[in-house]
Amino acid sequence: MKSKRSKLTAYNRWGYAFVAPFVIVFAIFNIYPVLRTLYLSFTDLKVVGDPNWVGLDNYVRVFTDKFFWRALGNTVRIWGVNIVLQLGLAFLLVIVFSNLNWKIKGLQQFRIIYYLPNLIAATSIAFLFQTLLDHRFGTFNVMLSGIYKLFGATYNPIDWLGSPNAAPYTIAVIQSWIWFGNSFLMLMASVQGISKDYFEAAAIDGAGTWTIFRRITLPLINPIMMYVAITSLIGGLQMFDLPYLMVNAATASYDDVQTVMMYLYKFGFTPGSIQTSYASAVAYALFLIILLVTLIQLKFFNKDK
Amino acid sequence: MKHATKILALLLALVMGLSLVACGGGDSSTPTADGGAGTGNGGGSTGGSTSGQKLVIWALADDLKDIGAYYQEQTGVEVEVNVIAPADYPTKLQTAIMGHDDTVDIIMGEPQMLGDMFEYGAFADLDALGAQEYAGKQTDYVWQFGKDNDGVQRAIGYQITPAGIFYRRDIAEKVFGTDDADAIGELFKDYDTILQTAQTLKDAGYRCFASDSEMNYFSNDEPWVVDGKLNVSQGRWDYMDMVIELYQKDLTAYCSAWSTPWYLAMAGSVPILSADDNVWSEDFESEHANDEQVEVFSFALPTWGTLTLRDHVGDLSGLWGVCAGPNPGWGGGALMGISTYSKNPELAWDFIQFATLNDDEADWWIEFSEGDVVALLSAQERHKDDENEVYGNQKLYAFWAEQAAKIDPSTVTQYDQQIGDAWGAAIGKIKTGELSREDAVNEFYDKVASTYPELVIERDA
Repeated sequence: MKSKRSKLTAYNRWGYAFVAPFVIVFAIFNIYPVLRTLYLSFTDLKVVGDPNWVGLDNYVRVFTDKFFWRALGNTVRIWGVNIVLQLGLAFLLVIVFSNLNWKIKGLQQFRIIYYLPNLIAATSIAFLFQTLLDHRFGTFNVMLSGIYKLFGATYNPIDWLGSPNAAPYTIAVIQSWIWFGNSFLMLMASVQGISKDYFEAAAIDGAGTWTIFRRITLPLINPIMMYVAITSLIGGLQMFDLPYLMVNAATASYDDVQTVMMYLYKFGFTPGSIQTSYASAVAYALFLIILLVTLIQLKFFNKDK
Repeated sequence: MKHATKILALLLALVMGLSLVACGGGDSSTPTADGGAGTGNGGGSTGGSTSGQKLVIWALADDLKDIGAYYQEQTGVEVEVNVIAPADYPTKLQTAIMGHDDTVDIIMGEPQMLGDMFEYGAFADLDALGAQEYAGKQTDYVWQFGKDNDGVQRAIGYQITPAGIFYRRDIAEKVFGTDDADAIGELFKDYDTILQTAQTLKDAGYRCFASDSEMNYFSNDEPWVVDGKLNVSQGRWDYMDMVIELYQKDLTAYCSAWSTPWYLAMAGSVPILSADDNVWSEDFESEHANDEQVEVFSFALPTWGTLTLRDHVGDLSGLWGVCAGPNPGWGGGALMGISTYSKNPELAWDFIQFATLNDDEADWWIEFSEGDVVALLSAQERHKDDENEVYGNQKLYAFWAEQAAKIDPSTVTQYDQQIGDAWGAAIGKIKTGELSREDAVNEFYDKVASTYPELVIERDA
């Protein structure tokens, strides 16, 4: 009996060998950088050299810097508008495609079409929209002018990316255009997982489209909605590429599109302003904020359970 | 069966492990030359003693690919050039240096980047290899850019990049009665005169500039930071006032620099708009029937703009000239040095001499690049009478050398990019009426204080 157990124990030890490569790589490339960043956030390291311990100084600087809060506000504003449009459009499409009475055909093709923007590189999208949205020469303003003319009205061209009032919302709309297909895909997959019996029974009982969506679809896709909302929030708070590529740092609208990640990048990687320890503190501040908001989200989604 | 499973599992683990090693190996598997065999002869090697070795260059532009290929052709040394985007370069280099990467030999940096790079020890000491033998042989400002705070030469440039104002000779003749570069330069001698010139051109149906940021190259008249204190010189305030007036008085064609319309303006007319014009209104076409297209008089660009314009002027080739701006200015231009951890410092030094201090190579590069302006004074002297057809047979080499001699390298600081951007954003907010001058300037100060808490800032709006 004893030898059988020891044989089993010996056999089980092989498991450590099998997971070792992953654990080693994970420790080197994930755990170490996370801990190292935490350590650096309490030091005064600029570029290279020996870091000196400065306690909470960097965190005090982060939380008292109005440009950090402005960047956070910009991030939330851009993400907020984006998520409303993104999920709104995705839900609308889910309602349309999941309605048994309407029997819309071509879901496969539509899925591909809606997902396509997600496959385009951010640099290409940035260049494309910069050209389309040019204040004085852009196609978008020309088209709007044509529409206004049709109704005998005059269109005052909007500087979509140069005006502080327009730029954040322009970027939010572009973001939602990129991501709504992804949300639609996930929500639709979730809806397709629901038994048709529920919908048929509801239809027999006389429930309308809206009632079916509110009483059956929404509650049953709640876990996926939570997943979409949380991943979108995490991605949204780390927004970087589009605003960074579309608005030059020396333009008037830059302060209104600078996100927390752009703020972090400025101190972490931009020559002339590299302050590694401060950038580390910004990264942890952002981490804490994301953690807090995610916990609130979890609480919100789980409140009915 | 149990043994077979074990063996299979072990093999799998081994394969995974080896894959990871292979992934992490990177360039270390590439053959590297054994160091110390470089010829190191003055002005770069053209002999065969370096044959069979390899140099790895991290470049900022494609230029180095051509120069590297020429060096390889001349010496037999294998040259691998990796071009890295300027935005990624500092991070990549910093990571390599912190990791003591010995696979890269030649590294580069733009003047504003070099301060940080010198500070963290990326560039090897070139004086130890004999760089000071060449002092005085290059345009001074470029040579000075390559020195660290202690005066040690760590990088050397291969080109000069002073800025000038490219203007249309035909328009100059019509409006000002002359196309002489010195006479036109007088029309750009200071910001007040520039505004007068712009108004004269507007009255004559032209626009002075395509964008309102053209004079930016000339605005760096004093360092942004002096002795740890923010320095907003009178020149900066004057520049701000000029840009605001250019915009608000409709003295430009409202193109954004580097946008498609901006390039189009080099080749002829573009649609012209004013700040108050509503181009989309129904009446616009009738109101502007005679002036809806306008030609732009000038563009401000560094030496490399010679090639930019050449490639975009189309039928206007030959009708352009170049004159001096209101202050000495420059833009771009990379310097090269040896990575601290290079295993081939002498071979790398041989390449640097070849690319920056060798007369034959300089002559070849001038011809090959079709107009790039080298930093080597002897080459500048030899080419001072070269005429450029695109620019009305103007002797550009002599012109650029003269402009380069006026540049004060001490105005460059590591703060330039960030503070310059903040200043540009403040100007943008004032000119479009987004913020009052006082608020915009205060925000500029706040931003500088946020980015550089160590700086002393005396507010003066």
